[in-house]
Amino acid sequence: MGASTSRRNFLGLAGLGATSLAFGCSKKPGSTGSATNAEQAAGVVPTFKESTLVQPDIKGIRPMADGYTKYPTNLVDGITEKAITSGKPVTATTPWWGPVPPSSNKFVEAVSADLGGTITFSIQDGNTYGDKLNAMLGARDVPELLCIPGWEINKLARFNDGVHVLFEDLTPYLAGDKVNAYPLLAGLDTAAWKDSVWGGKLMGVPFPTDSPYPTALFARQDVLDQRGVAAPTSLDAIYEFGKKMTNEAKGEWAFGDIFQEVLQICGNTGSQNGWAKGADGKVFHRYETPEYARAVEFMARIYKEKLIHPELASTKGGDVKTLFKGGKIFMFADGVGGWKEVQRDIVKTVPAFNMQAVKVFGADAGKPPVRWGGTPSIMWTFIKKGVGQARVEELLRVLNYTAAPIGTKEYELQNFGQEGVHFKRDANGAPVTNDLYSKEFANQFIFLGGRPPVVLGGPDIPNYAKDLVTWGNDATQYLEKNPWEGIKVEVPTQQAAIQQPTDDKITDIQRGRRPVSDLPKVVDEWRKGGGDAAREFYAKVLADNGR
Amino acid sequence: MSSSPIVEEAGAVTAPAPAVHTVKTMSFGARLRRDWPLMLMCVPAMLLLAVFHYLPALGNVIAFQDYNPFAGDSPLQAFLSSEWIGFGNFQYLFETTAFWDSVRNTLAITAFQLVFYFPIPILLAMLLNSILSPRLRSFVQSVVYLPHFFSWVLVVSLFQMMLGGSGLIAQTLREAGMTAPDVMTNPDTFMLLITSQAIWKDAGWGMIVFLAALAAVDPSLYEAAAADGAGRWRRMWHITLPGLRPVIVLLLILRLGDALNVGFEQFYLQREAVGRDAAEVLDTYVYYQGIGVQQWGVGAAAGLFKALIGLLLILGANKVAHKLGEQGIYSKS
Repeated sequence: MGASTSRRNFLGLAGLGATSLAFGCSKKPGSTGSATNAEQAAGVVPTFKESTLVQPDIKGIRPMADGYTKYPTNLVDGITEKAITSGKPVTATTPWWGPVPPSSNKFVEAVSADLGGTITFSIQDGNTYGDKLNAMLGARDVPELLCIPGWEINKLARFNDGVHVLFEDLTPYLAGDKVNAYPLLAGLDTAAWKDSVWGGKLMGVPFPTDSPYPTALFARQDVLDQRGVAAPTSLDAIYEFGKKMTNEAKGEWAFGDIFQEVLQICGNTGSQNGWAKGADGKVFHRYETPEYARAVEFMARIYKEKLIHPELASTKGGDVKTLFKGGKIFMFADGVGGWKEVQRDIVKTVPAFNMQAVKVFGADAGKPPVRWGGTPSIMWTFIKKGVGQARVEELLRVLNYTAAPIGTKEYELQNFGQEGVHFKRDANGAPVTNDLYSKEFANQFIFLGGRPPVVLGGPDIPNYAKDLVTWGNDATQYLEKNPWEGIKVEVPTQQAAIQQPTDDKITDIQRGRRPVSDLPKVVDEWRKGGGDAAREFYAKVLADNGR
Repeated sequence: MSSSPIVEEAGAVTAPAPAVHTVKTMSFGARLRRDWPLMLMCVPAMLLLAVFHYLPALGNVIAFQDYNPFAGDSPLQAFLSSEWIGFGNFQYLFETTAFWDSVRNTLAITAFQLVFYFPIPILLAMLLNSILSPRLRSFVQSVVYLPHFFSWVLVVSLFQMMLGGSGLIAQTLREAGMTAPDVMTNPDTFMLLITSQAIWKDAGWGMIVFLAALAAVDPSLYEAAAADGAGRWRRMWHITLPGLRPVIVLLLILRLGDALNVGFEQFYLQREAVGRDAAEVLDTYVYYQGIGVQQWGVGAAAGLFKALIGLLLILGANKVAHKLGEQGIYSKS
C-alpha cells in the first residue's frame, strides 16, 4: 500500500461511492494470456498407425467420421493381454448428462474384469462439471484418470499453468514410435494428438471429434413433408418458413434460437471466437463485418415478428429439445451430438418422427456459407502427476483399451455391455439394449479414452448414420480455415471480460430492447473496451508462429 | 447456577454497579474452575465455527492478490506465492460502470421489496391468526409456506407456464381473439414480476416468525380491551402490532444488512429475457465478470465490499432502533 492509501481512508472513499480511485501501487488483476508454439506440437505427437478394422458403409470426408449403417458381425479380439496387472484399483472421474448410475454396477464390473482389475468411477453431472473441476483442480486433488471436455478447459482458471502442475507429461511414453507399445492409441488421429500439446509437451489422451461442426440447423422433416413446406435454402426462405410454420393460436412457433446458424448462413467467422485473418493479412473480428450486422438484423426481425417460441425468449430454463419433440417448434440450432439422442428418444413414442439436419446453404444464391470448425479433439483424459512410471504405463494400457475401434469385442463391451445381461442381438446381429443397460451405462469407458471417429446408428434409428455423414460430407466444402488451429490460445483476462457485456448488448438488440442502429456503437465500445487489444494479441500469436 | 449477580445482570440493564463488580473481581482461575463444564460444552461449536467460518475466511486474502491457484507447490502455497496487488481488484471493480449499475439495481430492488414485499408476511400472519379453527389454520399455513421449498427454476417455469408468451393466460386470451400482455419479457415491469415471484415463493415462510410472535401475545389483553369497548381495528392497532413490533424491527434490521443480497438464481434465469440493464444484480455481475472469466480476486473483492456495506447497515440500523427505544438485534450490556 502506498502512503496515500491507508486502509482507513480507502474505506472512507469506498463508502462515499467514488467510482474512480487512485491507488498508489496497485496493479490490475488477471492473466496476460499465453499461447503454445504450434511447431513444438508437431515434434512430440505419436506416429499414426491405422487401427480401423471394419470398412465403413459410408466414408466420411475428414474430419467427418465414417458411418456404419450395419453393425459389424465378425468381432475380433483387439487386445489379448490384460491391461491392469498390479491389481491396484484405478480411480477415474468422468462427466455424464443423466442420472448417476449405481456404484454396484454390472456394466462397470464386466469391463473391469476384461481389463484385469477394478476401475472406481466418480461420475459427475456434466452440466456442473466445470464447478467440480475448479474445486478439484484448485485443491490439486485429482483422480488417476481425469476426463476434461474442451469447453470446460476454456472456463478453467489458468489451465495452461495447472496442466503441468497436476498431470503427467506423456511425451516420454508416447512421442513418435514409443506409441507402438499402445497400438490402439496409435490409431487416434494425428490432428487430435497435436491438439493435446500444452507448452510443448504431450499432456493428455485426446477424444477425436466425430464431426467438426459445432452446430447444425435441425428441422422436423416429417412435418415439413406432411405440410408440403420445403426446407429453406436462403436467408429469405428461412423467414418465409417462419411465417408459414408459426401459428400462435395452435401454440406453434417456427423456431428455437437459431442465431448460431444464422451467423454461419450469413458467412460469419467463428472457429476462433469470431477472429479471422483477412485477405489483406489484417486480423479482424466478425463483429466488424457487414455479415454480422445482417445476421443480427435478421434475428431482431424474427424476434419482433414473434417467430421464435416465447418460452425460449423468456427464460434460460426453456427446454428447446422438449419443445421440438412435442411439435411446438420445427427448427432449431443445436450441437450435432444432440441429433442421435433426440431422435432415439422420440421414436419410441412417435415412430414417424424424422429429425434432419438441413443441407447447409448461404444467405443468398451464389454466396456460400461459412461452416465453423471445432477443435480436432473434443475432450482429453489426463493422468495424475507423480504416480510413478510403472503406474503411468499401466494407466496408458487402460486408455489403450478404451481406444478400441468399432469391430472389436472391447468396443462392443464398452458401448453395449455384456450380451444377455445388458443387450440381446436382433436378427442382423446388432445389439438391442435393455433397461439395466440404461440404468448402468454412463459412457464411462468411452469418455475415458478416445476411439477412432465413428458414426453408428442402431436398429431403432436406421437412417441416422447415413443422414449425418452425408450432411457432414456436403458441409466440408464450406469449412472455415482457422489460422490459429493447433495453437493453445489462452486469452488475457481483461479481453475475455469484454465478451459477456458485448453479448448482453447484442442480445438486447436481437430482442428489440435496443434499436438495430445501435450496433455500430456497441462494436465501437467493444473495440475500446478490449477488442482492439485482443486483436493485437491474436495477431502477435500468429506472427510468433510464422503464420 | 446459583450465583445471583449473573441473573441480575441479565435481568436488568440498569443493574447496580456492585453486582457487576463481583464478577469482575473473581480471578481468572476461579472463573475457570467454576465455568469449565460450560466451556467444554462450547468447544464443539467453537471448533465448527473455526473450521467452517474463520478458517475459510482467511481465503479472503485473494481479494488483494492476482490469485493463481497453481502457483507454488501446494494449494496453500498458492496463497503465498500469488502476486500481491494491493487494492487492484477493488480498483478494477470501482472503475467499472457495469459494477455500479449492478449495485444500483440491487439497491433499487431491495428498496422496492422493502415496501412491497416486507409487509406481506405480517399481513398474512395477522389474517391467519384471526382464523379460529385450528385445523383450517394449520392447513392454510402449510399451503402458503410450501412454495418456499421449491427451487427458483421451478418457480420461474411455473410463472412462465402461467404468464409467459405461450402460457395458459396468453393462450386463453388468444383463443378469445385478444392479444396477450408481455409480462415475462418486459424490462419495465421486471421489478413487479420478481417481487410477485418472491411473494408467491417466500411470503408464507416469512409469516411463520410473525405467527409465533402473535401466539405470544397474552389473550387476556384482547379480552380486557374488548370489555372496554375496543373494536377490531383498535385491538389490532393497540395490541397486535405493538406485540409484533420487536420482531418486525429485528427482521427489518437483518434485511437491511442483507441489502446487497437479493438472490442469484432468480436473476440469472431471467436475465436474458429482460436484458442486463434491468436484471443485473451484484451477484450476477460477480458471476459473469469474476467467476466467468476466472478473476477470483475480483469476486472476493466484491464479496468483501458486500460484507462491509452489510455490516455498516446493520450497525447503523441497530443504532437507529436503539434511539427509537427498541431492543434491536443486540445491545451492549
